[in-house]
Amino acid sequence: MSDTYPKRPVYLNLLRIRLPVGGVVSILHRITGVLLVLLIPVFLFVLQYSLANNEAYVRVAASIGSTGGRVAALILLIMLAHHLLAGVRHLLFDVDIGIGRIAARRSAWLVLVVMAILAIVSGGCLLL
Amino acid sequence: MNTRNTGSAGSGLGEWILQRLSAVYLAVFLLWLIFHFLSSPVPDYAAWKTWFSQGVVRLGFALFFVSLLIHAWVGMRSVFLDYLKPLWLRFLIQMLMGLGLLAMGLWAAQILLVEAVR
Repeated sequence: MSDTYPKRPVYLNLLRIRLPVGGVVSILHRITGVLLVLLIPVFLFVLQYSLANNEAYVRVAASIGSTGGRVAALILLIMLAHHLLAGVRHLLFDVDIGIGRIAARRSAWLVLVVMAILAIVSGGCLLL
Repeated sequence: MNTRNTGSAGSGLGEWILQRLSAVYLAVFLLWLIFHFLSSPVPDYAAWKTWFSQGVVRLGFALFFVSLLIHAWVGMRSVFLDYLKPLWLRFLIQMLMGLGLLAMGLWAAQILLVEAVR
């Protein structure tokens, strides 16, 4: 068998694989999903602490308002927005919207472009 | 529907539907939450506590946490299925994930049922 077929190249070198744009959006959806799951306990802790008493609430509000807190909020917003937008794209695939190759590639670029605009605008609002 | 014999694992259709239903609730709830806080920012602790102690807000959050944990479970499960090949390792990690998510659910319930109304 192996003599009759030419040896096919196997590209498992991640640096040599050129992931299509849909693949980029998809893997980012997965990475942001895992990171957001890891942040659930942090969210619960902050929520619980902010409800405890006035001093705790003031401390939470001050932390979120500080430069570090704003950067963290921006990162959280970007992760959440990407996961949401890519997720909506996948939900539309489920109901047969945009499943052609060209349409899927276009919607993947759309997700990335909207994310870039959102990152710039929300970054400006939160950090400037 | 389930043409392959997957035994007790089933077809995965239930998980697929749960993943999508929870996704829709999470999306709607989070967008509502963001627009709510943008249109009426929380001024102080008293207002925050009053807003959060309302039954409808706590119900919304309760459904949010249930959806979030279901969504996280199905999502993490597919990640583990893809990358963790040894069965014992996958079983172990999924077990820990399940216990972790259960703990988070109980923690959220405590916040919503006890601390939000204290």
